[in-house]
Amino acid sequence: MSRLTRRTFLGASGSVLALAAMGRPAFAQTAEIRHFWWGNPERDRRTFEVIDIFNGKHPDINVTGETLGFGDYFTKLTTQIAGGNMPDVIQQGYGVLFEYIANGAIVPLDDYVGKTLDISKMDQSAIDAGTVDGKFYALSIGANSHMAMYNSRLFEEAGIVPGEDFDPYGYTYDELAEFAAAVKEATGVAGTDDNTADYQNFSDFVVQKGAMLFNEDGSYGPNQEIVEEYWATWEKIRNAGGTPPGPESAGLAGVSELSQMGVVTGKTAMTYLWSNQLVGVQSLMQDTLGAAMYPNTPDMVPGSIVQPSQFVCLTRDSANPEAATTYMSAFVNDLDMTKVLGLERGIPSQSDVRAALQPDLTDVEARSVEFFDKIQGKTAVLPPPPPSGSNEVEQTFERLAVNVLLGERPIPDVASDFLNQTRAILARA
Amino acid sequence: MQKFFRRNFAGYAFLSPWLVGFFLLAIGPILASLYLSFTKYNVVRPPQWLGLDHYVHMFQYDQRFWKALQVTFQFVVISVPLKLIFALGVAMALDKGIRAIGWYRALFYLPSILGGSIAVAILWRQLFNYDGVINLILRLFGAEGPYWLADPKYSLWTLIVLAIWQFGSPMLIFLAGLRAIPQELYEAAEIDAAGPVKKFFAITVPLLAPVIFFNLVLQMIEAFKSFSGAFIISGGSGAPLDSLLFFTVYLYNEAFSFLRMGYASALAWVLLLIIALFTAIAFWTSKYWVHYENERG
Repeated sequence: MSRLTRRTFLGASGSVLALAAMGRPAFAQTAEIRHFWWGNPERDRRTFEVIDIFNGKHPDINVTGETLGFGDYFTKLTTQIAGGNMPDVIQQGYGVLFEYIANGAIVPLDDYVGKTLDISKMDQSAIDAGTVDGKFYALSIGANSHMAMYNSRLFEEAGIVPGEDFDPYGYTYDELAEFAAAVKEATGVAGTDDNTADYQNFSDFVVQKGAMLFNEDGSYGPNQEIVEEYWATWEKIRNAGGTPPGPESAGLAGVSELSQMGVVTGKTAMTYLWSNQLVGVQSLMQDTLGAAMYPNTPDMVPGSIVQPSQFVCLTRDSANPEAATTYMSAFVNDLDMTKVLGLERGIPSQSDVRAALQPDLTDVEARSVEFFDKIQGKTAVLPPPPPSGSNEVEQTFERLAVNVLLGERPIPDVASDFLNQTRAILARA
Repeated sequence: MQKFFRRNFAGYAFLSPWLVGFFLLAIGPILASLYLSFTKYNVVRPPQWLGLDHYVHMFQYDQRFWKALQVTFQFVVISVPLKLIFALGVAMALDKGIRAIGWYRALFYLPSILGGSIAVAILWRQLFNYDGVINLILRLFGAEGPYWLADPKYSLWTLIVLAIWQFGSPMLIFLAGLRAIPQELYEAAEIDAAGPVKKFFAITVPLLAPVIFFNLVLQMIEAFKSFSGAFIISGGSGAPLDSLLFFTVYLYNEAFSFLRMGYASALAWVLLLIIALFTAIAFWTSKYWVHYENERG
């Protein structure tokens, strides 16, 4: 070697720096488990608290939490699938779960049941909902249904008494048009969100009309008549004066953040969501929220379903599935942990967990439970899981419905456009 | 060879982080996306070869592809000239030798630093909301502003204004170009009794042409690639009624909402070809309107 000049010294140190920049982390002694969920501030607070409890009880496992809003959750998950670095434990919803199982991103839990994973106290219906082709994939962490949440103070100011002026568990769209307009008249706040571009309400309406969202063969259920009638129904409510102006509702098409919902921003007195979201929405508001079912047609055919709101699942990228399933098991069974989680993700699927929660339910949780009791017998049967492409159909609906809200094109045109595009999407998926 | 390596080793050692990044993070993915554009690829399953299917679908059946092209062209054609005119105007005003000119330059450049950021896009959404600052100001004057963001007639214009507002970097380049124009020419023109308009078109524009051309190409490419503003303001979907469906937003949706990575790759290559084509056209026409000082003629 030649002598050390300034040039060789700089060169050597430069390459050392470059190598150091690509360094790797030290190996950890404990099993590292990553848990990823979509949430809201209330859910995030509770889940991080639960993770702390678990880590305290299990010194050999270290769980870390990661969270995002619903809108970004699946985007991030997708890139993680591509990169082969999905978290060990992820949250899934009933709609998309089956695509992830079909893709192999989620692995079966059967090998761990009875060992690290205890499902002995889980409702059979919840186990069935997480089972595909005889294999058990997904731990239900709560049941859910469609819920309309109304601002009780505004309803009271308008003199609308739930149970007298309308039955929260069975009222028609016509009644809604009436009392929503009355709320607007009395308080200046629109009585209800405009659901013209809300696919969840549309899916409810389709079942009320005796159709299914997807037929057994995977084809699309609603026909021209149903789509037109849905939009005409909301047009009537809008024209009666019970909703915000069309363009304002158009700006909210497809928005899923709870903080943007009409009841939270104070733009409307009634918002339509999932029942488990009551806890999260209430935590963002001062006024007390009341719970109602979705409006119905005069025939009162049930349109809402009760379904598992969310699952926790094990991914194929988990390096330590024993530790991951230990955590998943505690997440649904450990009474210290489930007590913190409460009903925020839905009504728990374990009988003992429900019983343990009963004595100290908060006020808002008690309202959730009451809602669930009242809707028994008024809900529709769980449809088969939606085919792939359903997510795109939903976005197409939200996009095209804006035409209706802005009055850009006649309803029949938009309806046939929607059905044509839906057929093309399903054919291509 | 060995001598070359020994002599330049230190240089390459220092370059190595960049070289590794360039080959692994730029060239690699670019070539991979070319391959993927001929396949069906949903990330989770391995790619399946499709040949030209994506390109055929795009041009023959995909209405949103054409809509995205239309929105993007509209944005480029309107925002780029306006931005350049605005930048040149401000540069000429600052060229007059105002007191504390350094401060003004920094101040006017500020939006360009902030402009691409998510925070500004969110701020923009707040400004142009129905209950936002813009409409509050209009209300002070007794006018009722429209739904800027929810009405497809206006939504694209909010983004064009956002683009123009980021005139800082072309402005700085114009300013440098203006400084390079010899003052004698203006003095000579004044002796010949030329007015400001005459001076602008006879002296400033021709001598500034290389700088205008440079700014034009740069801003055009940037406008074609524009993404974050439209993504944030439209909530990621190009709403309302696809009026903010920039090509990049559509590409993102296909890739990350619907997991059609193959199709999204094909879209990316079409965008690349479009940008290349327009840059080539700009260079070709420049023969006729851009003249350099060291040229004969």
